[in-house]
Amino acid sequence: MQDRVPLTILAAVLSLAPGCRRDEVTHARVPKPAPAEGGAAQAPPAGMPMMPPPGMAGDVPPPPTPTGSSALKWKLPQGWTQSLAGGMRYATIKPAAAGRVDVSVVVLPGAAGGELANVNRWRGQIGLPPIDEPALVSARKAIKTPAGTVSVYDFTSEGKVKTRMVAGTLSAGGNSWFVKMVGDADPVGSSRPDFIHLLETLRFD
Amino acid sequence: MTKPLRTRAWDAITSLKLTIACLSFLMVLVVLCTLAQVELGTFGAVNKYIKSFLVWWDVPGTLWMIPVLPGGALVGLVLAVNLVAAQGRRLELSWKKSGLWIIHAGLILLIAGEFVSSVFQVESQMAIEEGQTLNYIEGRDLELAVMDVTDPAFDEVYSIPDSRLARGGTIAVPGTPVSFQVKAYYRNAELAPRGPQDPPSPADRGVGASVAVRPMPPVSRDDQVNQTAAFVEAVAGGRSYGTWLASNVLGAPQSFVHEGRTYVLALRPRRQYLPYAVTLKKFSHDVYAGTDIPKNFSSLVHLSNPSRGERRDVLIYMNQPLRYDGKAFYQASFGKNDTLSILQVVENPGWLLPYISCVLVTLGLLVHFTITMRRSARRRQGAQEA
Repeated sequence: MQDRVPLTILAAVLSLAPGCRRDEVTHARVPKPAPAEGGAAQAPPAGMPMMPPPGMAGDVPPPPTPTGSSALKWKLPQGWTQSLAGGMRYATIKPAAAGRVDVSVVVLPGAAGGELANVNRWRGQIGLPPIDEPALVSARKAIKTPAGTVSVYDFTSEGKVKTRMVAGTLSAGGNSWFVKMVGDADPVGSSRPDFIHLLETLRFD
Repeated sequence: MTKPLRTRAWDAITSLKLTIACLSFLMVLVVLCTLAQVELGTFGAVNKYIKSFLVWWDVPGTLWMIPVLPGGALVGLVLAVNLVAAQGRRLELSWKKSGLWIIHAGLILLIAGEFVSSVFQVESQMAIEEGQTLNYIEGRDLELAVMDVTDPAFDEVYSIPDSRLARGGTIAVPGTPVSFQVKAYYRNAELAPRGPQDPPSPADRGVGASVAVRPMPPVSRDDQVNQTAAFVEAVAGGRSYGTWLASNVLGAPQSFVHEGRTYVLALRPRRQYLPYAVTLKKFSHDVYAGTDIPKNFSSLVHLSNPSRGERRDVLIYMNQPLRYDGKAFYQASFGKNDTLSILQVVENPGWLLPYISCVLVTLGLLVHFTITMRRSARRRQGAQEA
């Protein structure tokens, strides 16, 4: 009988030990996968906006990439570089300014949830509260471009390290285009004039 | 004269009847566990009958649970104690009984190995497509992964187990200013686009604002997956970043930015990252010529471990796992028109114990029979000489 007690205690302790470990918040530093190896696990680049409301399942095929006359084009400011990716993230543009700043061109079919929903989603991403329709109108700046009128929004987060987001939206040819610059407030601020100039050159050939 | 309680207890613990009772219970449990797999699935049935100390019965229509049988863990423990005690009491320490000592040691090691496996064994899987490289394996449990993706070279990944989400309350993420307040947690739920009749969603950020979550009873069968959902409010630097819906059935991760750092949220199978990477070069599904009858499943993988300067190809096929760094990668399943291979990954620090115990039992039987045979031969010889 005496043999059972220590064994039972041992079994109970052994059972509890991994139970405690399983409940802890753990941490791992994971190298980003190389582009060629990027599978479904690849995380978006820093500052990249999440896609607008996704489908309920992850296996919804992306919409076809606009081509020919429905493909959006622009003039790249001096010193800026770009890569055309295709798919929903149509292009990634790197401004000349040093620091954390990223420009994305995203295309989605239809209204993509509507302008107010998208603007509030962007604001939520940098910790700003949602706004209503009148506030949306007052936050909007319109820019005339060869591709049509682009609505431009400029938001800056609160906090010590401020994140700034300048985004232009355009509805054309049954698609919604989002050209968005996100990053630390300083490099975004210094890149803003060039970004606005880029927006002014948007066109469909 | 009645024996003292201590003596009676010692008699009971060392009795052969107890051994027979334990072995009988084990047989009953194995049969019940096998039958229960129809309803509960393999893991559910093994947890209920084999890995538990007591088998509980839910009284229908009530919240009562009654223990109806000892579980496999309790029976195994009693059997181990019984074997140890009986060996100490009955077996004499002599060469002629050495075979029995070895057999008993092997059996005790077998039971101890099962305890080690049930406590420490971790089963995961790696679902990998041809051409894909993975440096992680995934478990059956879920995690709320909070990923700081700000650095261009690496991600800081913080994993909150779903068991921690289930407890609710506030969860601080160590090493970050971020914490989460669990507003609701559903082990299983049905997610659907929110209609006009649905109540307002607790989520006010991300896709969750337009999703209706309806709680469902959890499932445990192997071919069913719980659609887990949680509403969590993200707080950083004393500021709320809104309430988000996290679920393993949502198609895309969601993110927010705090103080210039981008945090991505995703509820997903719990990942264990590896210090090496595995690339699936080719999956083969061989059939017998002229038939659809499977002949062999195999995965040709490339193993790359920069820290050891190791790069080599390995062929994994039925009963030939890749054993590496304490883990065994078995060919388990496949999919996506034979372009996806699913490897079961087993990490068990006690994996050698059953082999050692089998060797011991075999050795003990050989020793015992040899000794018995020699003794019998000597008796026969003595009888002939007499």
